[in-house]
Amino acid sequence: MANMKIKAKVKGDTLKCKVQMKHDMITYNVAKKKGVDANFITYVTGKVGDKLVFEASTSQFLSKNPIIKFEAPADGLKKGDKLEMYWKDLSGKEVTEAKKIKGLK
Amino acid sequence: MERRKFLGLGLAAVALVPAGLSAVDFRKEKPDTWTAHKVDEAIKALYGDIKPEESGLSIKVPKIASNGGAIPVGMKSDVQLKSLALFQDSNPESAVAVFTIPADVKKVNYMTKIKMAKSGSITLIGEGTDGKFYKVNKSLQVALGGCEG
Repeated sequence: MANMKIKAKVKGDTLKCKVQMKHDMITYNVAKKKGVDANFITYVTGKVGDKLVFEASTSQFLSKNPIIKFEAPADGLKKGDKLEMYWKDLSGKEVTEAKKIKGLK
Repeated sequence: MERRKFLGLGLAAVALVPAGLSAVDFRKEKPDTWTAHKVDEAIKALYGDIKPEESGLSIKVPKIASNGGAIPVGMKSDVQLKSLALFQDSNPESAVAVFTIPADVKKVNYMTKIKMAKSGSITLIGEGTDGKFYKVNKSLQVALGGCEG
């Protein structure tokens, strides 16, 4: 299931990541108009192994199919390491996807 | 019985602490932040009564956003932060996102896309590891509001 597009690359001593999450991000206003339940991503984390590299609590005002870019230090990463992204939305749906980090030797 | 209870309490407390340290879900911790309608109220609900310095952070946004449904917001810091919160004043509620910054990230460089219903301003508040608070504010024009989907 392609719920996310993940790009992770190490450049120099920085881990650069770009993540797009497929989500409608229905705000309370839209929900009222269309008669559906509001639903949006509320919590996102990014992990490499056991190490947390990104964490955010979010509201309905992220765009539809929100994109997040972030940077973290790359010390201690090995070839074959994966970036594991996780999100949870208001309805309780949870998605975890992992992608190999590029540019590691 | 007294002693048993006491021991039990101690164990429960120990079990709770590590979970709180490794990850903070600000939606559970500070529910008032997300329902506040004014930026000031949201900041107060999240960090309490603070006097942030106007330095250390920068926001990068387009001067005029053609599509309010997806406005790219770049966030950078020159100081080491514990957490970073993003607010705007044109939607019904103010809070957009609260980022917890991992301890080994020296300088924050984040970007995300947000929705804004009309022209307004974006406020970024950073909680430094030194205990100080930092703030930056930037206004922008939105040509087409994006909150109605």
